[in-house]
Amino acid sequence: MSKKVKQKENRRVTGRRTFLLGSGMFLVTSFLAGRLYQLQVAQNNRYQRLSDRNQFDRRVVPPRRGRLVDRKMRLLAGNAESYLLHITPLYAGDVEQALAQLASLIKLDEELVTEVLEKARKGPSFRPILIRESLTQRELSRLAIRSAYLPGVTFEKSLRRIYPQGALTGHVTGYVSPLTSREIEDNRALRELPDLATGKIGVEYALEPELRGKPGAERVEVNARGRPIRVFRDFEPKSGGDVKLALDIGLQQHITEILRRGQSEPVDMASAEVQRAIADNRDLKLHLASGENMLLRDPLGKITAPESGAVVVMDVTNGEVVAMVSSPTYDPNMFTERLLTRDWRRLNEHPRNPLLNRVTAGLYAPGSTFKMVVALAALEAGIISEGSRYSCSGSMELGNATFHCWFEDGHGAVNVVRALERSCDVFFYEVALKTGIQRIKAMANKLGLGDVTGIDIPGEKQGIIPHHDWKLATQGVVWTPGETVVAGIGQGYVLVTPLQLAVMTARLANGGKAVTPSLRSVEGDVEFEDLDISPAALRIVHKGMFDVMHGGRGTARAHNLPSAMGGIAGKTGTVQVRRITKEQREAGITKNIERPWKERDHALFVGYAPVKNPRYAVAVVVEHGGSGSSMAAPIARAALQRALEIGGKA
Amino acid sequence: MAAENVTILRTMLRVPWHILLAAAVLVTVGSLALYSASEGSWTPWAGRHAIRGAVGGAIVLILAFVDFRLLRIWAYPLYFVSIAMLIVLLGIGGGNGVARWITVGGFTFQPSEPTKIAVVLALARYFESQPIEKTRSLLTYLPPLAMIAVPFYLVVEQPDLGTAMALALGSLAILFVAGLPWRYILVAVIGLAASLPVLWSQLHPYQKARVMTFLNPEADKLGAGYQITQSKIALGSGGIFGKGFLMGSQSQLNYLPEKQTDFVFTMIGEEFGLVGNLFILAVYLLLIGAVLAISYRVGSRFAQLTCIGVAMMLFLYVFVNVAMVTGLLPVVGAPLPLISYGGTAMLTVFVGLGVVTSAVVHDRPDQE
Repeated sequence: MSKKVKQKENRRVTGRRTFLLGSGMFLVTSFLAGRLYQLQVAQNNRYQRLSDRNQFDRRVVPPRRGRLVDRKMRLLAGNAESYLLHITPLYAGDVEQALAQLASLIKLDEELVTEVLEKARKGPSFRPILIRESLTQRELSRLAIRSAYLPGVTFEKSLRRIYPQGALTGHVTGYVSPLTSREIEDNRALRELPDLATGKIGVEYALEPELRGKPGAERVEVNARGRPIRVFRDFEPKSGGDVKLALDIGLQQHITEILRRGQSEPVDMASAEVQRAIADNRDLKLHLASGENMLLRDPLGKITAPESGAVVVMDVTNGEVVAMVSSPTYDPNMFTERLLTRDWRRLNEHPRNPLLNRVTAGLYAPGSTFKMVVALAALEAGIISEGSRYSCSGSMELGNATFHCWFEDGHGAVNVVRALERSCDVFFYEVALKTGIQRIKAMANKLGLGDVTGIDIPGEKQGIIPHHDWKLATQGVVWTPGETVVAGIGQGYVLVTPLQLAVMTARLANGGKAVTPSLRSVEGDVEFEDLDISPAALRIVHKGMFDVMHGGRGTARAHNLPSAMGGIAGKTGTVQVRRITKEQREAGITKNIERPWKERDHALFVGYAPVKNPRYAVAVVVEHGGSGSSMAAPIARAALQRALEIGGKA
Repeated sequence: MAAENVTILRTMLRVPWHILLAAAVLVTVGSLALYSASEGSWTPWAGRHAIRGAVGGAIVLILAFVDFRLLRIWAYPLYFVSIAMLIVLLGIGGGNGVARWITVGGFTFQPSEPTKIAVVLALARYFESQPIEKTRSLLTYLPPLAMIAVPFYLVVEQPDLGTAMALALGSLAILFVAGLPWRYILVAVIGLAASLPVLWSQLHPYQKARVMTFLNPEADKLGAGYQITQSKIALGSGGIFGKGFLMGSQSQLNYLPEKQTDFVFTMIGEEFGLVGNLFILAVYLLLIGAVLAISYRVGSRFAQLTCIGVAMMLFLYVFVNVAMVTGLLPVVGAPLPLISYGGTAMLTVFVGLGVVTSAVVHDRPDQE
């Protein structure tokens, strides 16, 4: 045979075999079709019956979520037994009528009823629809008595997350809420646990893996009417771990009260004066709509909302955060049940954003509290010594620009200790200019400014410590000396969080150890890396901070702790939010309290106590609070005093 | 310029559009099923599935412009690359002793899937190079057996018995159509039957459990037999016309496990009944038949065998999956191509169809 013929023969064999193969596939597929016929047509009745009363309902048993407690074992987040109320349209018949009947027995929100009806109309009739998530005992017994007349209505026990401290610790705990479709997409194992609630923010989110636990499994044998007959536990759920936080609820409570009150006085909410003020002022109305229950009378006699801001108290030796207050706040219990759109809208309409955790995500110019950073950078670099003096005439000229000191008459010749005590701006303009922004930035970073602290709260902000490359990269223009001058008093581009300020203060107080904040309680001693800051330079800065509280012209000398408690070393900061306009100046409106709230200065204070062997550092920011000395310092004093009393160590 | 346009036009005219149409129908069915599987939502599966389908169609069209002769050159290198990937995979291993996936730049895929195509190409290439006189000699068939045995062993070791069997059967089909004499086939079948007990002893305990469960699912209704039992209930209760879109109680109430991947056929059966299932089988048969028909039209032996290999691969996917969900085969974890959610199997099928397209566009009988 020739090659060509052989090739043809070969092709013929393959062609024949391919046909055989194809026929085989057809036969096998027909066989599969036969099998389908057998299942779906011949045995349809049997399987239909099995499906109607699917004998075994395999259920995943959700684990008990770990609890959160404060340093004295007081409950911050726990689990309460509650009853879920479901309705199954298939058995209920007329859902609308059934709901009307339910509404006569228990509380049913109008919005909820429409929602349930909508679901009943859209979804298949066999799927139970959740009506309420936490029935009270009273409601439960009412329903139980009537249950014979409520076909398709079922209630079952479950665990609901509760936050006994409510709004007080809202920003710390965060909250759990039902799984989102995104979470299910990321972790498909969660599909089995449709009722699981997961942490969405705060510690609940940060410690989710630890708190959640492991689900168990059980199988429920049900009869044709869907009633459970027997339960088989395959394996027990494993509870999540409890977590002890460093927080002290008593301290948290105390600080919250004094921060919110500021320099104002509480008023009787029922009085005619207050009612009139609410009626006239839309802002006040919005405050009250989202759960606020306190109004104040400010020193000018005006009815006003509680102060907003942040206070954080931190143990300088081990980083424990013993209080973390952000005002305004919200009640996390709102989120554990289905959040009504009305409540959500009110939270978002609130004029001061209660969902923002100002301690970790509020960005503020540090103002004069930044002067320690500048002083340390200059001392370390040898730009100045303790004896170096600069003369303050009330302002400084640089090129065409004039930079003013807050004290118009000028401080005269001052050294670094005096400049800190009196918060002289001109001194720090001069020193910043000589030190340069790069050195200042390096020192700020060392002390923990301009970077996240890594605390167990999601969404922490980094802040900004500006420098040459940053300016070029973000604005496309070079850094100017004038900007160094402004940065020297913690204004301009500089932005930090109150938590970063507390970390900075703690690191200054503990002699330059790189302490980091911890929301968990810390057992035993912890060693932190040494930041390698010259002890001599630190001592000079300490002296300045001491004189702020103790010196004859210290900016916060009126708000020191009694010497029996060891006194405070600290620094005030008053951050200009908007310049006083010419018209205001001419009208004589130069005092903060006389200006609209939004235009007032932020009031800041950082400090530590006791002066010898410091234990606690505090950072206070009162938004538009006026002056650091008169508004923030007293709050810091009260916080430190209570912290020391509770901590028991003087 | 004009010449280029003519080339593009000619290529587009030669593209087997009926194959793409069948694939599009299957992807659409898949998207609808996945929409139902997530209780009437395009997320997380249905939307992505549709997008992947579109990408797959694009891959086929791109491959239509790849000269088929390039595949001939690349057949062996591709084979060795796949083997290397499987070896690396075994080296990495998984925490629970299961190593099926590789992650490259955040993209996870199963190397055992593309290996199927690589083996088909390598075998086709091999038989093309053999002198015609040797077609009836046993020696001709020993090297390809080794070429099959190596990846088979590597996939079994992962362990992924289902994919390994599909790989072996698909490849053996090429030996069969290449002209393996009947007497050897007979001997092989008898030999395999005799060695079954030995193979059994080599299985992992969970694999044995699956086979035992398959043989008697009712004995273990709540354990490993659960999936099969629930799948049969779902299918059987669907009847002729099904319970309606989004109305399958078994699927929607989560009695049915893995309804978006391995058990998607069951879900379609529950919601669309026997009619829906037969429609899907018919589309598959048309698709497979079309690929087989192409094998008669292409020029080279390499192209011919490649097309048959792709058709067999496709058929085995469908057969294993449908047999599994109807309780005719143990639950081995096999997707229904183009319908189940899951990227790798879908991609493999589209690449296979692309190779067939390239063959029919570039490898005409008149060029031989």
